[in-house]
Amino acid sequence: MSWLASIGRFAGFCFAVARANAFRMPPPGRTIEEAYRIGVQSLPVLLTISVFVGTNLSLQGYNAFQPMGGQRLVGMFVALAGVRELAPIIAAAMVAAKAGTEMASQIAVMRTREQIDALEVMAVNPLWWLVTPRLLGIILVMPALTILAIFTTIAASWLVATAQLGLNGTDFLDYVRGSIHARDLVACEIKGMLFGVVICLVSCYCGFQSSKGPEGVGQATNAAVVVSSVTCVSLNFLISQVLYGG
Amino acid sequence: MSPVETLARIGRFGLFAAAVTRRAVTPPWNVRDFFRHTWLVATRCMLPVAAVTFPFGMVIGLQGLEIFELFGAQRMLPSLISVAVLRELSPVLASVLVAAQGGSAFAAELGAMRIKEELDATEVMAVDSLRWHVVPRVLALVLACPILNVLGTVAGLLGGFVMAVGIQGEPAGVFLANLWALTVPFDLAAGVIKTTIFGLLIGLVACYHGFNATGGAAGVGKGVNDTVVHAVLLFFGANYLLTSAMFAL
Repeated sequence: MSWLASIGRFAGFCFAVARANAFRMPPPGRTIEEAYRIGVQSLPVLLTISVFVGTNLSLQGYNAFQPMGGQRLVGMFVALAGVRELAPIIAAAMVAAKAGTEMASQIAVMRTREQIDALEVMAVNPLWWLVTPRLLGIILVMPALTILAIFTTIAASWLVATAQLGLNGTDFLDYVRGSIHARDLVACEIKGMLFGVVICLVSCYCGFQSSKGPEGVGQATNAAVVVSSVTCVSLNFLISQVLYGG
Repeated sequence: MSPVETLARIGRFGLFAAAVTRRAVTPPWNVRDFFRHTWLVATRCMLPVAAVTFPFGMVIGLQGLEIFELFGAQRMLPSLISVAVLRELSPVLASVLVAAQGGSAFAAELGAMRIKEELDATEVMAVDSLRWHVVPRVLALVLACPILNVLGTVAGLLGGFVMAVGIQGEPAGVFLANLWALTVPFDLAAGVIKTTIFGLLIGLVACYHGFNATGGAAGVGKGVNDTVVHAVLLFFGANYLLTSAMFAL
């Protein structure tokens, strides 16, 4: 039953974050700094992974549709699978792996070194000082990262489709354009922001709850990435079901 | 980091991998720790792997249905689900979760042992810490990753089934009859081969970062962070090459 207690503690943490920020401006200047850090740190990893996701989508789509003679559908497959589902989830997973783990380990290190207690002694609310800029920063950058992931995925799969598989590039892009509508992109952006909120809150919670010492830091970092990626994938299904199901 | 430094790190990683490989193929082996770590990784990763592949199977069911409804070919949906889950999703997602959960746990353990100078203590006692602590962990991931892939495949197919039959109301008989239309046993074998290689990559990266952790508690956190990122980068790259090779494109 300990997981039930953790969910309760997490809800309490979210409530405390909300209360610490009610009727109060965020710490000045720190939001942009955190947004820059989160965005720029995650970007190279995210783009590299998106390239490989795109290449594999093309390869797998080509192989799945070849028996039916539907190689031209690869563009549609890439657009639906890549843009609607994979790009937001990949962006979330990479931000969780890069920025989320870093948040968790930074805060856990501050816990170990008793810097969080020091903040409280100085009458600075640590939730307001540490969590708020990260939360606002991640909300700010996630939509941009998601769009970049979408673009890179499509570009890489186009490259594989034309150069490696010998498909017609114009056809491919026509199918991509035909299957993606503005509302899909809006849905991706909303997904991205929600994933960002989940990643930030889960990672910061893991950091705050960590036990002291090197093991505590390691375990907090570990828990942050696992819990936030599992939550994002489940959340992704719920959002997709609401948007596209029925 | 300057390019030269990056290159030097890649070189050090290569030397580390060679040292681990040499100890992995020569006796004596730390058999008991190997089984203990395999068991720990497999049980720890079971829930996250299933919790990720199951919803993903459902999402494929949802999106696939939309494509196939255009052509009135809903009966093809289970074939698409089995192709996608068996060949690509389950191996990749299971490996991401193994890197995030199992790999980073190993990096955290070894990093903490390095910071607390326990690894130095084993060396002083003339115990080869690479052979004693690192090799069992790497091999444990090599064994656990394919097992978790099979689990992820089952969970993904189950997710697709729940979506198509339970939620969208497709007939269950049609679903099961078409499930294996486009897949061959080789697809499952391909997933297992892929994940074995991914497991090796994750194990080496995780143990490298844990074994070489420096700078106190913050260093352990950074090692864990780097483990997840570098392992995922490495096996996504390997995935593209392996997929191309397996389809002989």
